[in-house]
Amino acid sequence: MFALLEETGFTRVRSAVVPGFRFRKASTQNSAEAYGVKAVMMTALKPPTG
Amino acid sequence: MSDAADIQASLEAVLKDEIVHMYQEVADNPRQEFHFYHGREAAERFGYAREWLDSAPEGAVASFAGVGNPHERSDLRPGETVLDLGSGAGLDAIIAARAVGPEGKVIGVDLNPSMCVKAQAHAAESGTPMECRKGRIEDIPVADSSVDVVISNGVINLSFRKRRVLQEMFRVLKPGGRLSITDIVSAKQLSQSIVNDPKLWAS
Repeated sequence: MFALLEETGFTRVRSAVVPGFRFRKASTQNSAEAYGVKAVMMTALKPPTG
Repeated sequence: MSDAADIQASLEAVLKDEIVHMYQEVADNPRQEFHFYHGREAAERFGYAREWLDSAPEGAVASFAGVGNPHERSDLRPGETVLDLGSGAGLDAIIAARAVGPEGKVIGVDLNPSMCVKAQAHAAESGTPMECRKGRIEDIPVADSSVDVVISNGVINLSFRKRRVLQEMFRVLKPGGRLSITDIVSAKQLSQSIVNDPKLWAS
């Protein structure tokens, strides 16, 4: 996602993991962890002349 | 259209149906349990301010199905125009509307027209009108260079065409505009069986 944002033309791409995110069901959470699934927050800027 | 493109289009159509069905279920039956946390419990988990949740319509809070808090870094200012992609029952749009005030504007976009109706009703009930437009995040029904901020909460991961979604976000933002989004990402490539199962995408 981060690379896609930059490829699209966004600048100042910033991200941070959402600390409180997890799935409610244990089986879903286990599967998510196996794939490194997490929630992130991202901000980015469209260039002033873009 | 090639066979691969036909299959992709077919999967995408089924996925959209599953998404509409899943989030309609959250809105209609908020007391039910889902794979993900939702409602006030989820919002508190992600740091939504108690005063936001106490003052928003109960239906908007109970149906919240986000994955984080896009308001934490959105830095919304009075008078700004905000686009909420995948606005659902309207909680994030209501919070945004309070931040931008009566001189500002909030536009929601949702795949499900009945969710648009709910969101607008919740926003009106909270005294912070918003406009909701039915549409796809891959073809945002908003004019070029017309919004100051795009927010979204757990929506882009539901699209097969993420590059397209980001291009659309870029298109509708004014030069100098910004986005503040929260979403699900995976560190590993999902298996083809997962990719081909729309029910897993929407859960």
